[in-house]
Amino acid sequence: MLLHLLKIDLKKLTSYRTFWVVCGLYFITIGFSTASGMEFLKWLASLIEGFGQKINIDRIPLYHFPDVWLNLVWWSGFFKMLLGIMTVISITNEYTYRTLRQNVIDGLSRWEFLLSKILTNFLLSLLSVVLIFLIALITGFIYTPEINWSYVFTDLEFYPAYLLEVFSFLSYALMLGILIQRSGLTIILLLLSYLLEFIIKTNIDDYIPWILPFFPMESISALIKMPLYRYAFQEIQDYVDPLSVAVAFAWMIAFNYLSYLKLKRSDL
Amino acid sequence: MKTVLSIKGLTKDYGRLRAVNQLNLEVQQGQVFGMLGPNGSGKTTTLGMLMGVTNPTAGEFTWFGESPTHTLRKKIGAVLEHPIFYPYLTGQKNLELNAMVKECPADNIPKVLDLVELSGRKDDKYKTYSLGMKQRLAIASALLNEPTVLILDEPTNGLDPMGIAEIRELTKKIAASGKTIILASHLLDEVQKVCTHFAVLKKGNLIHTGPVDDVGRGAETVEVQADVANLSELLMDFSGTASINRENGYFQVTLRDEFHGKDLNRFLFDKGVVASHLVTKKKSLEKMFLEILSEH
Repeated sequence: MLLHLLKIDLKKLTSYRTFWVVCGLYFITIGFSTASGMEFLKWLASLIEGFGQKINIDRIPLYHFPDVWLNLVWWSGFFKMLLGIMTVISITNEYTYRTLRQNVIDGLSRWEFLLSKILTNFLLSLLSVVLIFLIALITGFIYTPEINWSYVFTDLEFYPAYLLEVFSFLSYALMLGILIQRSGLTIILLLLSYLLEFIIKTNIDDYIPWILPFFPMESISALIKMPLYRYAFQEIQDYVDPLSVAVAFAWMIAFNYLSYLKLKRSDL
Repeated sequence: MKTVLSIKGLTKDYGRLRAVNQLNLEVQQGQVFGMLGPNGSGKTTTLGMLMGVTNPTAGEFTWFGESPTHTLRKKIGAVLEHPIFYPYLTGQKNLELNAMVKECPADNIPKVLDLVELSGRKDDKYKTYSLGMKQRLAIASALLNEPTVLILDEPTNGLDPMGIAEIRELTKKIAASGKTIILASHLLDEVQKVCTHFAVLKKGNLIHTGPVDDVGRGAETVEVQADVANLSELLMDFSGTASINRENGYFQVTLRDEFHGKDLNRFLFDKGVVASHLVTKKKSLEKMFLEILSEH
């Protein structure tokens, strides 16, 4: 049944050129940018050399196991916006073309319709995880000077966390699309989400600071914290915070449930 | 006869506007049921509720005696308002998608495409279709799951005369195959030609329902002309005459009940007058529709 619903949504998307363009861009940018970290370091080194300093880029273990796992998932997290935009286009198209209405007339229940979209979100998140895992695995084996198998399998918990990060964000994008129904406006709001949340947070952090980790975008990005500090201060959060997982998971459920409520109550 | 659709007290409010008010209606198997009413009378809202896209404010309905579910909708073929498809997909792919949604085999696609004469264009994108082709694809899609009930909402809207004739023929063909059809339209002529039963809605209220055959019953009107000077007085002398009007150069004689055109003809002949023009006019659905509307 789930597979059937997923097939329905994929049938809509796979003949849609925009889908291939956006997904292609996403996977190409992620692929190239994660794979060219060493080139970036070389560029950085030459820049610093211009100021008369010297750094040995081989001393920065960007792609060494186990650092590579966390470094790559953190970097890839930025690109989930592209997938979010794809989700928005996919759902708002159904409103613009009124095909959501026809799908329901033809015998899909509203929940089944939503589920088909959620399943596609999950599939895209999963593909993203698999791709980054493979890139990290390959670059890790290329750049790590001495393979230590216990390091290879360290820090893998960041991958389920990354799956939750992308999937929660796509659930949020789907909900925005269902609430707003217009693609342009939804995409703008999606792009502004982090900024808007940041403004709210800075305005209340003096009064109720304990509430900050419970904000949706905050909790989603707190799943995987920026790891690059470790090369400067040696101290980073190298574990997945259970509180972030709980909060992000709760938001993921809430986003999808709100989508369902809105869809159930509205006249299509 | 089996009841296909039974509606009880169906009501829909949009804010303060009551779009459909306490609608009660029954449609039996094999009927071609016309839903008439001016624009905004609640036809599409009613059909939207029957097809699960509009949430009713109150009331209930059953399809085939069962409470409505989305699985039940898979047995019904429906086109509401205008055709809706994915513009970037070809006609063929749109139908394949519909078959998946309705969970029916895709083997029917060539057959329905043939029926609506779209086989030649099936691999073109939907957005390149003309309005008539879009309407026909919608009907093909509605027939895909071999439904026992077909709902058509203004199927000839915006079509040219040829397109209208094509859709009408198609509707008749489908009706002849024993399917129950619910047809919403404001083209009265169309309903009279195709339907067996009809209902009239006005501002969300059901104001008339009955068989189309009943429309012709009741007082007859006879249009007469003859080359005599005192025709008007002669007609007044006829005992079956209820009233006389002069219109388009003819006398329009409305007869009392039990009197028919041939009685008037015989009367004139007995008086030595031969009519040069004598036509018995049945009341059209249009006339009756306007009468019903003005009464309410």
